[in-house]
Amino acid sequence: MDASLLNIQPGASEPIYRQIVEQLRRLIAGGQLTHGELLPSVREVAGFHAINPMTVSRAYGIAESEGLVERLRGKGMAVIALRKAAQSESQRLALLEPQLEALARHARELELPAAPVLRRLTRLLGD
Amino acid sequence: MNAMLRETETDTASPLAARGLAHCYEGIDVLCGVDLVLEPGSVLGLIGRNGAGKSTLIRAMLGLLAPLAGEARVFGEPALKLSDDAKARLAYVPQQPEALAWLNAVQMLDFVGRFYPRWDKAFAKNTLERWQIPPNKLLAKLSPGERQRVDLIRALASQPELLVLDEPAAALDPVARRELLREIALRAGESGTTVLFSSHIVSDLERAASEVAFLHQGKLLMRCSVDETKERYARLWLPARMSAAAPNASLSRRRHEDGSLSLVVERDAQGQWPQAAQLAGARVDALGLEDLFVELAE
Repeated sequence: MDASLLNIQPGASEPIYRQIVEQLRRLIAGGQLTHGELLPSVREVAGFHAINPMTVSRAYGIAESEGLVERLRGKGMAVIALRKAAQSESQRLALLEPQLEALARHARELELPAAPVLRRLTRLLGD
Repeated sequence: MNAMLRETETDTASPLAARGLAHCYEGIDVLCGVDLVLEPGSVLGLIGRNGAGKSTLIRAMLGLLAPLAGEARVFGEPALKLSDDAKARLAYVPQQPEALAWLNAVQMLDFVGRFYPRWDKAFAKNTLERWQIPPNKLLAKLSPGERQRVDLIRALASQPELLVLDEPAAALDPVARRELLREIALRAGESGTTVLFSSHIVSDLERAASEVAFLHQGKLLMRCSVDETKERYARLWLPARMSAAAPNASLSRRRHEDGSLSLVVERDAQGQWPQAAQLAGARVDALGLEDLFVELAE
């Protein structure tokens, strides 16, 4: 993987370390990063994007603790890509979290109670 | 007594520390009791509007002006009486460098390079070319931007332990600015260089800084890690009919023409927003650093 694959928006309200973790999660879930592929070094990412190396280390640390990547001695960070079925339900649900939060916020802004929103969502999900 | 002892100990270990700095120009307060201590290896971005006192604070911290009250220390030494050793480990780039104006850039860098034990000659030469400095023109004849670029090269080539830059972004085009930020970030991460830089270009701070300090009307409004700033603060918007429910504790409060309120609020110890955020019709918006700065400084 090349450091340029990451898209860093310093002005966004989401901290840079979370942007990196989120993008790794999506790239892995979407299959663009495959099992065993090496992440660019902290220095490469920090240098390419002119961001603080501690920010990149922090993101990699979180990705490691979430089981997205593993630290290989002397090589760096390697992607752990599980087959979709092997991911737990809560892991897959976590990928939807930002969209769910946005939905909840819109519903509150429209002053909609939870019940009709959930009914509609259930219909959309086809259950 | 113990607290004072601890303060003195942290100030001695810190590369750059200020306690209670106060200063005024012609009877107008510019600094009103500023405390600011930098951890080794941290990159602190100082944000403030024009005239907030950023340059005065920097100059007072480095001992370039004697404050009316308070004390500054550099590498644990009183800033007003720095040893030559401390000076050799420190590099400062003012907004308008004026020293050695009778030399050209190459001569100046050759000359000052002899005084720095870790001078990086190759870096100085390469960067001079990359940043398009006319090598044979006297410094006095360069534009203010070119002049500051030469001084940035001088500061970086000396490989300082403490790097202090006053509005470095103003002199650089976007490409060179990015390069400077890369140098700042990598040196802090790899060589443990401590960096203090002021800017009103907030996105620069967001990239390279590990911490940010807001200076407003001579006071530090907030000092926080960049990530924490984004996660801990938000704007709470309340429609006019609910403005009575506004929490008392907020960092700023603005009433709009239609009677609605915008407040900057902080999460409590449990990570919760104030109760008013739960009311129907209330809105909590995440804030980037620039928005937060505008909300606080307005």
